[in-house]
Amino acid sequence: MIASCTPMPTATDRDNETQNSSAQSGSSEQIVLAIGGESEEGYDPTLGWGRYGAPLFQSTLLKRDENLDIVNDLATDYTISEDGKTWTVTVREDAVFSDGEPLTAADVAYTFNQAAQSGGLTDVTQLETATAIDEATVELKLKQPQSTFVNRLITLGIVPEHAHGEDYARNPIGSGPYKLVQWDEGQQLIVEANPNYYDGPPGIQRLVFLFLDEDSAFASAKAGQAQVAAVPQSLAVQTIEGMTLRDVTSVDNRGLLFPFLSANSKTTPDGDPIGNDVTADLAIRQAVNYAIDRQTLVDGILEGYGSPAYGPVSGLAWEEPEASIEDGQIEQAKEILAEGGWQDSDGDGIVEKDGLDAEFTILYNASDSIRQALALATVEMLEPIGIRVSVEGKSWDDIEPLMHSNVVVFGWGSHDQTEMYNLYHSQSAQGDYNNAGYYANQAIDGLLDLAMGAPSEAEAITYWQAAQWNGDQGVTTKGDAAWAWLVNLDHTYFVDDCLDVGQSQVEPHGHGWPITANIADWTWTCP
Amino acid sequence: MRLGLLLIAVAIFTFVLLSLSPIDPVQAYIGADMMQISADQQALIAERWGLDQPFWNRFLDWLGQILQGNLGVSLVFNRPVSEVIAARFQASLQMLAIAWLLSGLLGLALGTLAGAVAGSWIDRVIRLYAYTLAAAPTFWVALLLLIVFAVSWRIAPVCCAAPPGVLSQNVTVWQHLHHLLLPAMTLSIIGIANITLHTRQKLIEVLHSDYVLFALAQGENLWNIVRYHGLRNILLPAITLQFASLSELFGGSVLVEQVFAYPGLGEATVQGALRSDVPLLVGIVFFSALFVYIGNTLADLAYPIIDPRIRLGGQMNR
Repeated sequence: MIASCTPMPTATDRDNETQNSSAQSGSSEQIVLAIGGESEEGYDPTLGWGRYGAPLFQSTLLKRDENLDIVNDLATDYTISEDGKTWTVTVREDAVFSDGEPLTAADVAYTFNQAAQSGGLTDVTQLETATAIDEATVELKLKQPQSTFVNRLITLGIVPEHAHGEDYARNPIGSGPYKLVQWDEGQQLIVEANPNYYDGPPGIQRLVFLFLDEDSAFASAKAGQAQVAAVPQSLAVQTIEGMTLRDVTSVDNRGLLFPFLSANSKTTPDGDPIGNDVTADLAIRQAVNYAIDRQTLVDGILEGYGSPAYGPVSGLAWEEPEASIEDGQIEQAKEILAEGGWQDSDGDGIVEKDGLDAEFTILYNASDSIRQALALATVEMLEPIGIRVSVEGKSWDDIEPLMHSNVVVFGWGSHDQTEMYNLYHSQSAQGDYNNAGYYANQAIDGLLDLAMGAPSEAEAITYWQAAQWNGDQGVTTKGDAAWAWLVNLDHTYFVDDCLDVGQSQVEPHGHGWPITANIADWTWTCP
Repeated sequence: MRLGLLLIAVAIFTFVLLSLSPIDPVQAYIGADMMQISADQQALIAERWGLDQPFWNRFLDWLGQILQGNLGVSLVFNRPVSEVIAARFQASLQMLAIAWLLSGLLGLALGTLAGAVAGSWIDRVIRLYAYTLAAAPTFWVALLLLIVFAVSWRIAPVCCAAPPGVLSQNVTVWQHLHHLLLPAMTLSIIGIANITLHTRQKLIEVLHSDYVLFALAQGENLWNIVRYHGLRNILLPAITLQFASLSELFGGSVLVEQVFAYPGLGEATVQGALRSDVPLLVGIVFFSALFVYIGNTLADLAYPIIDPRIRLGGQMNR
């Protein structure tokens, strides 16, 4: 692995590159970013391009600012009908596509209708139809009220109806801050400022995105070839001259999924087993949550670049702060186990109940060293309270059939609350990754449905929070403890001292591209 | 005719085999966005790729398209398979060509030298080199070269096919070669061993023949014997091997391109396999079968030029 990194500039490279006025050092003319993010299938928003970070070539109706508050972008205003099924959006009239054609409500309607049937990575299936009422007004009719639909207005870049054909993904035309110059597939993407951008020209004229793995990204930053590099936490402790480490809080979480039902209660549609007698016991799940010392995990495994996670939506506006607990509490965990009827009667150091030893296996994706370390640390932390854990690294294909009956290290984290709904709603458990533990609580289902059916995000927040913990029940530790959330990874980037990247959002799962969310505002501060 | 049958058989075999792969292309495509994509949307994705159809429908549909020369659309790259292969093969072709020529010429030269002075220290050094490399895995050699030339000595770039930030029309020939050289060298180094050992063996055989003994008795020196009696005889196995090695070369390029992050056909193969992209993989297998078949045919055609005894009508003399 050490070898697959380090693209060092050579003497000849340097000569050539100065001649071509390229890649050596940054300026307001050009910066090089090694933050991954290549979209192999091209840059078509109706297929899911731009679902996090900046869509770059296109612009969206709404966007989230640095505090994740929803603000207007292409939209000048939007209203939602009483029943929550009709969204009426007015569109600004000064937006122009990079080919010179004006952007109208018809393009917006086309984009939404197209995305609803295109089978890509953006889910607009709740849309019944989108219609342009006049030049600047578009009406989106939903099949059901869906508070999370606002996320589609935030992530779906508007494409031009007149230029959206088969080759669009490779020749994107949009109203965004940049336009495509060249894409060498598997290598790099070169983009240039769009002179027609309605929000004024972006601060950096030309961007070069290198698609390197993390080790190579670090090496290219160290060689002065890249001005922004996404690096893993393990490399963040290094220093690079002329660059500062930027440590961005994220909701990119890791946690332990517990099978919620007892063993052999049923099987998935594919015939895989569901349930685990040990983790089906609330006392076990709560004890694990209390015994784990999350700050130690952050310091030891993430080199301090992370934060403890007590729920699935840390740091977002819909997090319930009351759901947090005081963790690393060995005594309290032992008490919970004792109250739950788990006792070590045969003196082997493992508690048991009705002849069942408190032991389970944690599965993790073998190619991810952080997940491995988290699993191993959990073993150590649960030993003192008398729970015996074994760990096994496997590929996702091998984990899938086992994930409904074993504890698994998963990682999620999104700005879209749909994820929380699918993590916990009993109807989501269909034998795949959604609610893989088959967690089921009618009251929680009710709250999640209320949140989803609320007309707007603001009104839904109360319900999202209540589902986490409402003082009586919830999915987090004090309630059903359906998961043991462990940590949120900070996303670490080396950024050139001369580059001002503004204030970053709390980033979703996916280290790299999310930092581009405000890329049009980046500026080069050195002469 | 034979080629046609071969291609059909290869394509059908690959399609069936890949369809049995445990990787679900829809889930591989969605990846970490799993939680935001509803079941309805997953069904839409499957529909877009025709995966909602039963296996036999998909198979017959695909076979019909193949017969009309349509390889389908790649799931990973969202563009026609033929375009993906054309673009990727362009990048790979130069690398393969350089590697192939280098390994052929160097292998022949080393093998001849070793065979001519069999038993001497030169022979031993060459043999040691050949045995070591014949046993060395491609990716290991690639990593080794990368560490030495790119990381320690810094005389070669570590990745990609062009320097970063340079528009394709501004990439100079030298920059192009510079990025090509290390992967091509890795591939050729591996290929050399095989040819060297076989050539050496054949030359030793020739040198122990009666006609060489006769030539020696007439006072001919070793180098003239190698030149006039040896070369033609050893060329045949060398050429057979060299063309047969096209398949190994092709396989090796998958690993080498991965190590050097070189965006060629091999890299596309890996991506296709990881995401169960059946049309792309079948297309690539199809194409590589064609590639190897052409190589072997060329070898067949080269025989009569080198050895007059193989020419048509040669049997009559018997």
